[in-house]
Amino acid sequence: MAGTGKVHMRGDEALVTVEDLVMEFPAGRRAVVHAVSGISFDILEGETLGLVGESGCGKSTTGRAMMQLPPPTEGSVRFDGVEMTELSKEDLRRTRTRMQMIFQDPISSLNPRRKVKDIVAEGLSIWHNDSGDMAVQKVNEVLDAVGLDPEVVSDRRPHQFSGGQCQRICIARALVLDPKVIICDEPVSALDVSVQAQILNLLEEMKERYGLTLVFIAHDLAVVKNVSDRVVVMYLGKVCEVAGPDALYAHPAHPYTDVLLASIPEPDPDHPVSDRQIEGELPSPINPPSGCRFRTRCEKVQDLCSTEEPVLKEIAPDHYVACHFPNEVPVSVNGNGDSS
Amino acid sequence: MESERPLLEVENLRTYFDTPRGILKAVDGVSFTLGKGETIGIVGESGSGKSVLVRSIMNILTSNAIVPDGSKVIFDGKDTRQLSRSEAKHFWGTQMAMIFQDPMTSLNPVKKVGIQITESIRYHLGASKQEAMERALELMIQVGIPEPRKRLKEYPHQLSGGMRQRVTIAIALACNPKLLIADEPTTALDVTVQKQILDLLASLQEELGMAMILITHDLGVVAGRARRIGVMYAGKMVETADTSTLFHHMNHPYTEALFKSIPRVEHQSHTRLDAISGRPPDMVLDLVGCRFAPRCRYAQEQCITEEPELFQTGQTGHLQACFYPVGSPENAEALAANQETGMTAAGLDLSAAAVS
Repeated sequence: MAGTGKVHMRGDEALVTVEDLVMEFPAGRRAVVHAVSGISFDILEGETLGLVGESGCGKSTTGRAMMQLPPPTEGSVRFDGVEMTELSKEDLRRTRTRMQMIFQDPISSLNPRRKVKDIVAEGLSIWHNDSGDMAVQKVNEVLDAVGLDPEVVSDRRPHQFSGGQCQRICIARALVLDPKVIICDEPVSALDVSVQAQILNLLEEMKERYGLTLVFIAHDLAVVKNVSDRVVVMYLGKVCEVAGPDALYAHPAHPYTDVLLASIPEPDPDHPVSDRQIEGELPSPINPPSGCRFRTRCEKVQDLCSTEEPVLKEIAPDHYVACHFPNEVPVSVNGNGDSS
Repeated sequence: MESERPLLEVENLRTYFDTPRGILKAVDGVSFTLGKGETIGIVGESGSGKSVLVRSIMNILTSNAIVPDGSKVIFDGKDTRQLSRSEAKHFWGTQMAMIFQDPMTSLNPVKKVGIQITESIRYHLGASKQEAMERALELMIQVGIPEPRKRLKEYPHQLSGGMRQRVTIAIALACNPKLLIADEPTTALDVTVQKQILDLLASLQEELGMAMILITHDLGVVAGRARRIGVMYAGKMVETADTSTLFHHMNHPYTEALFKSIPRVEHQSHTRLDAISGRPPDMVLDLVGCRFAPRCRYAQEQCITEEPELFQTGQTGHLQACFYPVGSPENAEALAANQETGMTAAGLDLSAAAVS
């Protein structure tokens, strides 16, 4: 599982380009946590990029590094032609208004002591001096867009809302400054399935209505598949596979993608529970395995995997995998699998 | 005769809470039985009363809880509500055990894993420290924790989420309970770890022959795991059936709606999900009629005024509470009538329903 290699990059037309992103954190006694180790991807305007992987694979770190929260150890993040990593503090602040984030736990990401209208309006009051009627109008508009009645909710506080409604407030807050990109970090994993469906539908609507580009981070491949135009599968700080969501599901090439797919619980009692299960624990990111990082848990592992790191290669049109022994992918079928 | 009797009989269980806003009817008349070694899945949204239901079964309710007379929980021939405090102490753990959603908060962060596992073994079974440690080691192996001897001496924060949940399972199993209650055991975990934990529970159950109540909000989780499923909504059981019957002949519109809201990998990406519009009702209010009616696509006049009771349908053991069950001609008529006016009898706008 290497993730070195950039054959999947699509050049200048991308809105956001992340190249060779490395994120390391000191862990004391000269140890270093290799959270993200040289990953690259790009996002076209109006696209939804899904980042999927288990806890600890570096997907959230990647999302935060794009926002420079904190800036990456190495590598570049270009957003709309601007190199984010080289911006001055003030320029970075300005740029961030166009790149917003939504987090996993909607209740703890809202200040419990503030009213909904103040939470949503905060971005506006920081950036626009005309905080009068225009601001109120804008706040009402976004609240209405996310399916909350401004008259009813404006003066309430977060504890008066359910998890799903709080997530709607978070989405409204992200939308109020008219961002281009929203990074959604596990926006639905704390929600019930029924509410999850409401929020996923809402994100799709907002994307259309406001012309957004989304980065959707999640551990559930079924959820990611539903919203994404392109999916990047990550494992222990590296990229395993990049493909369109339908192609990825129809013909997973990387053994890790296989396992992720087999783990999705099927709501069908006739569907036998798959006996494929990922073995063991995630290796420590302080001392990641040599060669392919997935080798310690891979059922196809060979000697080559421990000595040489696989590089991303194109195995079908717009389908890339970083594995020495990928599953066969029929080239012809795959071509029309991408929905974008 | 004794062996014929189900392990657990819950009859007309009601659990109310006295809150400043009024009486909150969290569980309002639930009945079901569970045989020895059987698994029942209880499915519903947050606030449907499924967690309060199992807490009532275990009798671990908060002090503001009121359980009206007529509610019965018979476990192995004994009414758990009648147990004295001292009886209850040895009842929990040895007869019934429970695992919770968040393994971090259900473990004590300042005690070593080994101490937490041996605690109940020493207390209930009166084992010596040595014996208890041996048993703990056995349990750690049983729940699939690598390097068990080393892990026994570690603290919960040194373990991953999946490992912590394995530890809570080991604690629950320590005294060989007859019934294991798993309250959303995998909701806080990754899909891959969720599968490991569910597989583990299934194999342990087979090995130890214990009964299990598996609570979840995801129909996908119980599909392959439970023999029977009960669907709860707003404190009531709205449909219960064998797993296979339930999935093939869903009768209740709420069951159908829950099922449809699951994103399926088989579907093309960007397929619009059929979300359930609205929210569950406020259970402090006096609810008239079917509790799901305000969110139901099929709602008719009758649903608003009259409360449907659970009744037996075609298949044995298949109970449901809907006047217009899904798949019936009445249901098709109801939907057609609602589509014509664009609105259900409860005032749900069918065109807007999809949006919110």
